[in-house]
Amino acid sequence: MSTITAKNPAHKMKISTGRKKIGPGQIILLLCVLLFTVFCFAPVLLVFISAFTDEMWINQNGFSFLPGKWSMDGMNSVLRYGSQLLTSYGITILITVVGTFGGLLVMSMYAYSISRPHFKLARFLSIFLLIPMLFNGGQLAGYVVFTSWYGLKDSLLLLILPLMVTTMNVIILRTYIANSIPGELMEAATIDGAGDYRTFFQITLPLLKPSLAAVGFMMATAYWNDWQNALIYITTNSKKPLQLLLINIQKSIEFLLNNNNVPAAARAAMGDTIPQYSSTMATVIVVIGPIMVIYPFFQKYFIKGLTVGSVKG
Amino acid sequence: MKDFFSNTWKHRAHVVMALPAFLILLFIMYVPMSGLIMAFKNFDYSKGIFGSDWVGLGNFEFLIKSKDTFLSMTRNTVLYYLLFTVVGTVLNVTIAICIDQLAFKKMGKTMQTLMIIPVFISYAAVQFIVFAFIDSRTGLINHLLGTRTRFYSSAGYWPWILLIVKIWKDTGYGSVLYMSVLAGIDTALYEAADIDGANKWQQIRHITIPSLIPMITVMLLLSVGNVMRSDTGLFYQVTRNNGALYSTTQVIDSYVLNQILHSSNFGYTAAASFFQSVVGLLLMLLANFTVRRIEPEGALF
Repeated sequence: MSTITAKNPAHKMKISTGRKKIGPGQIILLLCVLLFTVFCFAPVLLVFISAFTDEMWINQNGFSFLPGKWSMDGMNSVLRYGSQLLTSYGITILITVVGTFGGLLVMSMYAYSISRPHFKLARFLSIFLLIPMLFNGGQLAGYVVFTSWYGLKDSLLLLILPLMVTTMNVIILRTYIANSIPGELMEAATIDGAGDYRTFFQITLPLLKPSLAAVGFMMATAYWNDWQNALIYITTNSKKPLQLLLINIQKSIEFLLNNNNVPAAARAAMGDTIPQYSSTMATVIVVIGPIMVIYPFFQKYFIKGLTVGSVKG
Repeated sequence: MKDFFSNTWKHRAHVVMALPAFLILLFIMYVPMSGLIMAFKNFDYSKGIFGSDWVGLGNFEFLIKSKDTFLSMTRNTVLYYLLFTVVGTVLNVTIAICIDQLAFKKMGKTMQTLMIIPVFISYAAVQFIVFAFIDSRTGLINHLLGTRTRFYSSAGYWPWILLIVKIWKDTGYGSVLYMSVLAGIDTALYEAADIDGANKWQQIRHITIPSLIPMITVMLLLSVGNVMRSDTGLFYQVTRNNGALYSTTQVIDSYVLNQILHSSNFGYTAAASFFQSVVGLLLMLLANFTVRRIEPEGALF
């Protein structure tokens, strides 16, 4: 498969000629796409609306896009998680930043190495990279090896390392180096006396930026959204990321609902209802908010990155 | 051989640069592969993987005997894979073609942006959204229909619920890849077809779809190795890991996760895991072999 250039001048011409003939077909097409967009976006909108709906109102009338009573209580009750929320935010930001930047660095160095034409070990390293995509030990083997052999329990390393290097991401970076950065540039640097490290850090890495932005954004969302490793490995409150906090909130609601032995005082404190509607939605906003805010800025990069990476490895 | 070593020494900087990622792959991906031998052992956590006693194929016998659990979770895994892959691919391609054909380019871009958003919401959060729609008392759907359907205890509804959630979450993002291929089609082809009197449908059938085939092949091929693996969050979080729904929602991955969290049945679980890994490998090799014979360009290796 050949590389696809996203910015094709011929394609732009098609847009300008297409403008002239907007028939009924186009209107129907627009309505169909619009319908699907509503299907995708409405649930997200519901989160925002419910978070600002009165808790009692939802309890009586159910979730609604047009609630009868608005309220800030949901948002205020998020503050009840107080320091735990801040801690979890800190942990999530820490693993996302360390994991993403660390991963980008080690993966682009690996990608650079295996794309060097005269480096004979590159063939072995490419195969070494490919095998995990075909075969792996699975969750259970990973769990036993990490906890018993490496002695890692309740460790943030278990949230960072497993997502740090993925075959697909290295392939995307390697393809970008091979196709979009002229080899002559790197050769010229070597002739001018730059060592391998300097060539990589001063020539290749800066030119790799678009691809790094794409891969980096995808990695960051993977770290931000990772709940599974946290659920399996993390037990201490001070190390719980946001996703695990969400899971814990759901579990404690379930516990309260299924348990009639909850002290009356505790029930009264919650206004006789278990805060499970607007307040959980408010928490969801707090958890997904940052990605929603950052995403539009990265959209063009990851679309481009996906495109460039879509060449076989 | 000597040549090889001197070449490697000459390029030792590359070796050093490849080393960190190499070590991570080694310790995170390769070493756990040895954990697969647990499938042939009566695993005892205190004795470790190598110290535990061998039981030969005992775990597998147990697996086959416990028909209900194993068969139902394998069946669910495979059927959901087929359902999601077929529906997903058709929808991804359809949406990509629709947006590409749209004359309102600006609106198309905006709608695409909105469609992609769900992919960035974690399943831990998605399950709250699903709850808002299907809860028996406060759920939006029951409210609109005026019913009190207890979705969380009726297993029969779940293949549909999960399919809808999956479509909602992944279609926008899945179509991006195909859109980028469409953007690369030489417009001269369409113009020539126009002059030859081909209408829109004929153009889509004979130009657009054929040019998407290589990408579809690669995507399917990449997914075949994951037949036995599932989107764990979908089956564990969205169903709230509800035991009453297991008959239609338990897949191998969510079963294994449950066993890990309860620290139980490791030997048996390891056998299921082993089965999962080996079947995945075989299917991947088979798919690649097939594609290489039909269309060498699309093969992965």
